[in-house]
Amino acid sequence: MASTVASLSTPATFAAADVVPRRKVAGRVWFPTARRGGFAVRSSGPSTPPGISDKVSESIKKAEETCADEQVSGECAAAWDEVEELSAAASHARDKLKESSDPLENYCKENPETDECRIYDN
Amino acid sequence: MAICSAHTTTSLHSPCATVSNTGFRQKQVIFFTSNRRSGRRHGGARTFQVSCSVEKPVVIGLAADSGCGKSTFMRRLTSVFGGAAEPPKGGNPDSNTLISDTTTVICLDDYHSLDRTGRKEKGVTALDPRANNFDLMYEQVKAIKEGQAIEKPIYNHVTGLLDPPEVITPPKIFVIEGLHPMFDERVRDLLDFSIYLDISDEVKFAWKIQRDMAERGHSLESIQASIEARKPDFDAFIDPQKQYADAVIEVLPTQLIPDDNEGKVLRVKLIMKEGVKHFNPVYLFDEGSSISWVPCGRKLTCSYPGIKFAYGPDTYFGHEVSVLEMDGQFDRLDELIYVESHLSNLSTKFYGEVTQQMLKHADFPGSNNGTGLFQTIVGLKIRDLYEQIVAERADAPAEAAKV
Repeated sequence: MASTVASLSTPATFAAADVVPRRKVAGRVWFPTARRGGFAVRSSGPSTPPGISDKVSESIKKAEETCADEQVSGECAAAWDEVEELSAAASHARDKLKESSDPLENYCKENPETDECRIYDN
Repeated sequence: MAICSAHTTTSLHSPCATVSNTGFRQKQVIFFTSNRRSGRRHGGARTFQVSCSVEKPVVIGLAADSGCGKSTFMRRLTSVFGGAAEPPKGGNPDSNTLISDTTTVICLDDYHSLDRTGRKEKGVTALDPRANNFDLMYEQVKAIKEGQAIEKPIYNHVTGLLDPPEVITPPKIFVIEGLHPMFDERVRDLLDFSIYLDISDEVKFAWKIQRDMAERGHSLESIQASIEARKPDFDAFIDPQKQYADAVIEVLPTQLIPDDNEGKVLRVKLIMKEGVKHFNPVYLFDEGSSISWVPCGRKLTCSYPGIKFAYGPDTYFGHEVSVLEMDGQFDRLDELIYVESHLSNLSTKFYGEVTQQMLKHADFPGSNNGTGLFQTIVGLKIRDLYEQIVAERADAPAEAAKV
């Protein structure tokens, strides 16, 4: 989160060095080549795979039709439940794409302290 | 083909787990020898795995509605134990299971007895107990708890079908997450610790807008309609489970901004049951007293709308509980570490561990508010609980030997 990172330069009330993520080290050169792609993907965010996306929009149409006649029926609830299930699946699929889009990003998420994951600021 | 994972001499006398197939109404007899040189002698021609270990997992239950942060919580929990949780390697890409070095998380949707078509025909939602096989859930969670591997079905959320089962071997910590971990009394009794994520209607709506609005076909109306259509079953079958939870994380709209309905700033309560074995509730300043605390002031400058904490004893469904509440959000690191330094019984291993965990996953939803803070704390409490149970088990044989 940008705001927490920004305040790293002024850690007013704590002394424990372990708390500071070692991703930003002042006074070194930041190497942009390997990381730039990852950021570009992250900032735009992947879209839902078309297969699931179609299923979500179909399920919404069906639920609206099913519930047009009788709003309190079990069929209506089941139809909207299917919408929820598919929407959640779509969201998980997007997360998966985001994770798998850059293996270095994945690795660095869990191992921010390793050399290859350091980001250097000027 | 049997695969024996016993490679060390120390495991020669350890009990060996067999795949429990009770749910599929097949009986297998497995003859097992732990002497590796005598080869892989066994009966039973079907595919199964045998693993030798003394592992008797600690079992944790996590209940919440769909889209209410179970996955994020699981990522935080497995991170506290160290190492990332990954889907099973080489298995069904649509598997719902996550495995890390210590922890296996299974999704209880895998115990759907009715697939999507079946539910549609019968007019029941996935929230309805009639759509779920609690007998199989109980048998398999029990088998895992006894140290046996299971062949668990996989519910495919994309196709809505039940896929062929996957083998799950007993981990150190076994988490069952989903809609009904505390619904069935038999399953409930197997849990060493249980958590319920209680998301208020306003916040649920805001979160689902965030999740779904960009999705083609969705609109404010469709999101609202889906929540409303599921609500009667949610109220009947999911919500009542919170009375059984050892810890409840309640997520409400903020009270710091009058009439706020954006759902961006949150008021989060951590309700911790008293008298739960191996679980000592977290407290603020003075255990058992009632405290209202605004950390922002002369010592600490907070961004708008500030941060407010409360702590005190209460009752929850007739149980004695301690409640810790946080309203507002952290915008700066010094706010977070300042708050951490004033909380006690956190079960951290070093000063600043909560803050470190929160920073490590700053990109997870809720990392700047009470949801992330309390999820992290509950993760630490579960680690503590696990370590206490393991230590107790290690002591037990020694005690017995003395007698």
